[in-house]
Amino acid sequence: MTTVSVDGVEVEVAAGTTILEAAQLAGRWVPTVCYDERQAPFGACRVCMVGVVGSPKPLPACTTPCRDGMEIETEEPTARRVSRAVVELVLSELPEAPAPHTELAQVAERLAVGEPRWGGAVHRRDDDLRHPYLALRHELCISCGRCVRACDEVQGAFALTATGRGFEANIAAGLDAGFEESSCVSCGACADTCPTDAISEISLVKRLKGA
Amino acid sequence: MSRNLVELIRRHHAVEAPTALEVLKAAMDDHGELTDADRERAAALSGLPEAAVFGVSTFYDDLLAPRGERHVRVCTGTACFAAAGDAPVARLSADLGIAPGERAEDRSVSLAETVCLGFCHSSPAVRVGEVVDAGPGALDRAVSGETRPAPEPDWESVLPEPVLTRPGGWHGLRRALDTLGRERLLAEVEAAEVRGRGGAGFPAGAKWSFAAKAAGPEKFIVANGDEGDPGSYIDKYLMERSPELLLEGMALAGFAVGAAHGFVLCRSEYPLSKPALELEAARAREEGLLGTGILGTDFDFDVTIIEGAGSYVVGEETALLACVQGLRGTVSARPPFPAERGIYGMPTVVNNVETLCNIPFVAARGAEAYRALSPDTETAGSKLVCFNERFARPSVYEVPFGMTVRELCEDVAGGLAGGAEIKAVQIGGPLGGILPASLLDTRFDFEPLAAVGCMVGHGSILAFDQATDMREVARHLLRFGAEESCGKCFPCRIGLRRAHEEFATDAPVDRARLEELLEALELGSLCAHGGGMPAPLRSLLTHFPEELGLR
Amino acid sequence: MAIAIPTDVKTSDERFDRTATTTCGYCGVGCRLETRASGGRIVSIGPALDGPANEGHTCLKGRFAHGFTRSPDRLRTPLIREDGELRPATWEEALDRIVAELERIKGAHGADALAGLASSRATNEDCYAMTRLMRAAVGTNNIDNCSRVCHSPTSFALRKSFGLSGATGSFTDLDQAEVALLLGVNPTQGHPVVGARIKQAALRGCKLITIDPRRIELADYGQVHLAPRPGTNAAVVLGLCHVVRRDGMLDEGFIAARTEGYEALEELLAGYDPQAVEEVTGIPAADLEAAAHLYGEAGSGSLLWGLGVTEHKYGSEVVQLLCNLAMMTGKVGKPGSALLPLRGQNNVQGSSDMGALPDTYTAYRSVEDEEVAASFEAAWGAPLSRRKGLTIPQMFDAAVAGELKAMYIFGEDIAQTDPDTAHVIAALESLEFVVCQEIFPNETTKFADVVLPASAFLEKEGTFINAERRFQIVEPAIDPPGEARTDFEIIGEVCRRLGHETGWRSPWDALDEIARLTPEYAGVSRARLGRQGLQWPVRPDGTDSPTLYDTVFDRPGGRGHFAALPYKAPGDAADQDFPLILVTGRILQHYNAGTMTRRTGNATLVDRDLLEIHPLDAERLWVKDGDRVSVRSRVGRIEIEAKVTERIEPGHVFTTFHFPETRTNLLVGQSADVNTSCPEYKVIAVDVRPMSEEPAFIPVVADVS
Repeated sequence: MTTVSVDGVEVEVAAGTTILEAAQLAGRWVPTVCYDERQAPFGACRVCMVGVVGSPKPLPACTTPCRDGMEIETEEPTARRVSRAVVELVLSELPEAPAPHTELAQVAERLAVGEPRWGGAVHRRDDDLRHPYLALRHELCISCGRCVRACDEVQGAFALTATGRGFEANIAAGLDAGFEESSCVSCGACADTCPTDAISEISLVKRLKGA
Repeated sequence: MSRNLVELIRRHHAVEAPTALEVLKAAMDDHGELTDADRERAAALSGLPEAAVFGVSTFYDDLLAPRGERHVRVCTGTACFAAAGDAPVARLSADLGIAPGERAEDRSVSLAETVCLGFCHSSPAVRVGEVVDAGPGALDRAVSGETRPAPEPDWESVLPEPVLTRPGGWHGLRRALDTLGRERLLAEVEAAEVRGRGGAGFPAGAKWSFAAKAAGPEKFIVANGDEGDPGSYIDKYLMERSPELLLEGMALAGFAVGAAHGFVLCRSEYPLSKPALELEAARAREEGLLGTGILGTDFDFDVTIIEGAGSYVVGEETALLACVQGLRGTVSARPPFPAERGIYGMPTVVNNVETLCNIPFVAARGAEAYRALSPDTETAGSKLVCFNERFARPSVYEVPFGMTVRELCEDVAGGLAGGAEIKAVQIGGPLGGILPASLLDTRFDFEPLAAVGCMVGHGSILAFDQATDMREVARHLLRFGAEESCGKCFPCRIGLRRAHEEFATDAPVDRARLEELLEALELGSLCAHGGGMPAPLRSLLTHFPEELGLR
Repeated sequence: MAIAIPTDVKTSDERFDRTATTTCGYCGVGCRLETRASGGRIVSIGPALDGPANEGHTCLKGRFAHGFTRSPDRLRTPLIREDGELRPATWEEALDRIVAELERIKGAHGADALAGLASSRATNEDCYAMTRLMRAAVGTNNIDNCSRVCHSPTSFALRKSFGLSGATGSFTDLDQAEVALLLGVNPTQGHPVVGARIKQAALRGCKLITIDPRRIELADYGQVHLAPRPGTNAAVVLGLCHVVRRDGMLDEGFIAARTEGYEALEELLAGYDPQAVEEVTGIPAADLEAAAHLYGEAGSGSLLWGLGVTEHKYGSEVVQLLCNLAMMTGKVGKPGSALLPLRGQNNVQGSSDMGALPDTYTAYRSVEDEEVAASFEAAWGAPLSRRKGLTIPQMFDAAVAGELKAMYIFGEDIAQTDPDTAHVIAALESLEFVVCQEIFPNETTKFADVVLPASAFLEKEGTFINAERRFQIVEPAIDPPGEARTDFEIIGEVCRRLGHETGWRSPWDALDEIARLTPEYAGVSRARLGRQGLQWPVRPDGTDSPTLYDTVFDRPGGRGHFAALPYKAPGDAADQDFPLILVTGRILQHYNAGTMTRRTGNATLVDRDLLEIHPLDAERLWVKDGDRVSVRSRVGRIEIEAKVTERIEPGHVFTTFHFPETRTNLLVGQSADVNTSCPEYKVIAVDVRPMSEEPAFIPVVADVS
């Protein structure tokens, strides 16, 4: 067993436990965007940065394993500054603010990140509403990889992929001809995990847009 | 990297399947664009799901720009930028009547940008088909269809006895197999303190011993020949001029860690590298230096040469492994390190080409001799450096660590051509800091360079002359950074775009906000691309703030 | 849907006004679901992250196929037949009519002239109430449920071999198993969440052996796929056992210490060498040997099966043979070594556990057992029959023979789903009085005298038992529409009007009664079930049983029983007139009779049944992909669209039974499992030909609409 302290709370964890898992055990909140407990840690969003005493720079909580005696500070100022800067960047790529119920909106609110100060390019609107249940709104995609991993690691349908690179990165189903033309089995695990409603239940999108 | 996709590939690999990327590249070569039928075929042949193949097909430069009968690729690397700014692209675009990324309606010609053809010694460089032309008149010839291969200067050594800039002789492997054995070879490499030559400077011996200890039914050696740093053409020289040195280094790595197979990933921007390596590998097999039962022992080792498809970040080791397996070249969080889970989920050693080329000397002559190569410093071994076209004698040189940058620039490369004056040099690629002329007396070595915000990196020394506008340099570097971001981590994916946008217009740049952004990039990024791109910006903020248009 | 939000950040979601955590009512996996409703309609359903069977995942049926609950077709008021037509009626009218008719018939012909069907779709409490209605209020053991037509052979065989009628382990065993053998089951279609789990296990290194006439999707992730001729499963399993024994892969210690009857089996196995088995099954001997070695040499291994095993003439015997295989190699009662029958419906396990069977009370205790019967008599305050009642097929026969006069059918569309549709219709037509308690009008309600509007699983409360023997709580997400009532309420009301007061205020009172009267469920209570449920047997202190038989079997002497049962030919076989073998099954997007899924967006994804046929057969018969074809069996004939695919072996065809317009079950004859009467849905000799070769499509049964 390994013992670490999280904001002064000591917890014993099994070997291989990540800082994020230790923080959860200690009842401390670490902001995350690309993390889903059903999936392997991905380390893409860089929002889960925490301070560790002795480390010259903040560390990503989701992919860093605990070492014995580690002193973790979830609200270390530099780490928190990076988290907030990244959340602000993410908000800046969306053509509209994420809906209040979404995980991204809630993390932003909790970190007190308001309207992003960045101008510049936002994602082009491109909505695919062809599937009876699943809506894919590319403009809300933040490339967190959760949908792709849900399809891969939970359902095993391998129907989704990350596409493009850099700022143009997004997602597609199959050969980008819609869910129905892909190997999608309509399980909805992608919509379930999406932190921005880029993939969501079409009934909820219609409610949003229609009435 | 998805464990499941890797597992699907591994299962398919048993039937000697090509990777999805190889199938897609072949389709591009065959008909100049990708269709869904190509993607479906790539999926069927590689074992990768169709969606994953689609993802691959949208990632690599080589798969994106449609090709005409004459496919013109103009170099937008930093050496070409230092020589001519953005003029080459504008010139070709105007004369061919198509923008970069476009193909003429009659399919006769197409134009694409490419980042660094490795002809930094004679910019501007342009590639038409498989031929790279460079230097004065190259653009004219690209337009008129009279492209000819540009000559490449010979490499030289300032060492009394060259180590890297001479033909190999497989003496190291013979000695390792005959007398050293596995353990002692590993011990020699560890004792030699061979630091990685690809940028990070991580000790090769440590990587090897992790992999040697890792459990796995198979292990692999991967040579990182994805020398993407604009301005660097060192690995190009090694792969094309001394491929036997690289192959011997890989075999030694295989012997030391217990791997029977290696991959070299070379860049598609260097069309001559793969043929040179394949030719040498075939010769080595004939001579019993590769294959089964090497030199009459029970050691088996062979190599596969793979060509990338146009992506800078693939030079990062986890992205490199993804590319070797035909996946999207995106970075993965470590742990797990490749030494634990690499190719097909098996323990894998990833070393840079130059690093591996150092190994035969260590094996043949021992750690002591290797450490003595750079007598003035603690750093062991020699280093290849290369210079851009601004210099009087641009080429690849083998030097000891510890000379000053000024000695390298002035004594080795002859100073700038035509007596021009250095304004600044960027060392070690786009992620390296920029050294103003006033700091040229800094020693060329890991620690002294780090102390002034720079790094050894690949070893390229790229000079900007006094005519250079440093805000343009910032814009150029950030455009490169944003376009090459793999898109995986948020700070790099969005942050580099925002940073480039700040410099893309003439509007003043908010310094405080820029520094916040640089901090998020440095501390937040998943790999050295986002983490390193702020380094040259920091240099410019320190040394040339007045030129950046800050507020 | 955003989840994985730290709980202290979760704000109330203004999009919903009612949320609940319930258990899925589709297949037997038992996914725990979070439901969200607004304005009396379900808006969204997601998986519960802590669901023990689904661990935060669910399939498109559980998640999306809820729109049927507010379909305009829903029965919203009682209907009674008048002048040959069903007309809307009040509850008073409907209940009065039911009570009057049941009492009249009982008075004239005795209680055994009445029969009732409980439903594997309904809750334990509904089923238990139904048994009380038939046994105590009416006075007959004529009660059965639709597990008769799916997993009754499993239930029978597991009791014979091991003692208890349920899976020996849990789905989590699949995460630890070195090898999993799947026989006659296609989890990625039929049990998608378990299918996904198996696929992930396979990608992590669990070796799969798939045995099915069709190359199921999981075969692509496995090591060995065996495609036996339909109806030859027994020979396959005997062949596996033969190789296990021949090649020294026996767990002799286990056999000696924990089993009985091995010698007889050993003698029998001599005749099933791989060559002999190849003759019967068509499986190459080398493939059978490879499969036997994969399973036999693994340190742990699980066995999964489905209706591809049970819906055969000797289905129950094949399950016993599977038990033999597990015992020979000691792969039972240990982590990673479980026998997991995948139950087709959400509460196949529970409906039978609750005693909705003609011969048993709760926990399979015989109606002839004086002590048990007396305990129920005492609890219910009514005299109870000691005579076994009729099974579903016996009910139809009795109806046609004029001995059965009335049926109270709760939640089963027998006219569409049961075999030999013509015989079922004849039975329905012979009855004097038929009550259907349903959520939609269907093929069976066309014969009803009274139709009662009941509730869907999303509108009721109680418990289901999943395929892991896990009691899990069901909570209402919305209320029943219109005047529809919950089944529990309706059955209780009928009991009361027949003069039998149950005294239950809610299903939880019934659950308490079940726990009180059943030692196996003694520790079950609403509070203890909580969010995670409990796997029976549950001790009085609430300790449950994820794994059975870790030390002893639940049989006299504590020993597992080897059954020496030879292979016998199936009830139907291909011949000159009917040269192809039809196998039927279900697909991912739809569920059984399609009553629910056809009324959701799933119908957009798949809107018809298709006949899968191998390219070689298709070419020989001049059938092209997408052609309409005629399929004729010895008892019926249908028309359907062909799909040419290599997933099926030459000589076999496959189709589903989700769309009433296809009426696939017209083709199914009366052949059934020898021990349990489970129909042989899986081996039907047919003749397939292009429509152009048929003069016209003449329905075999008269139009009943």
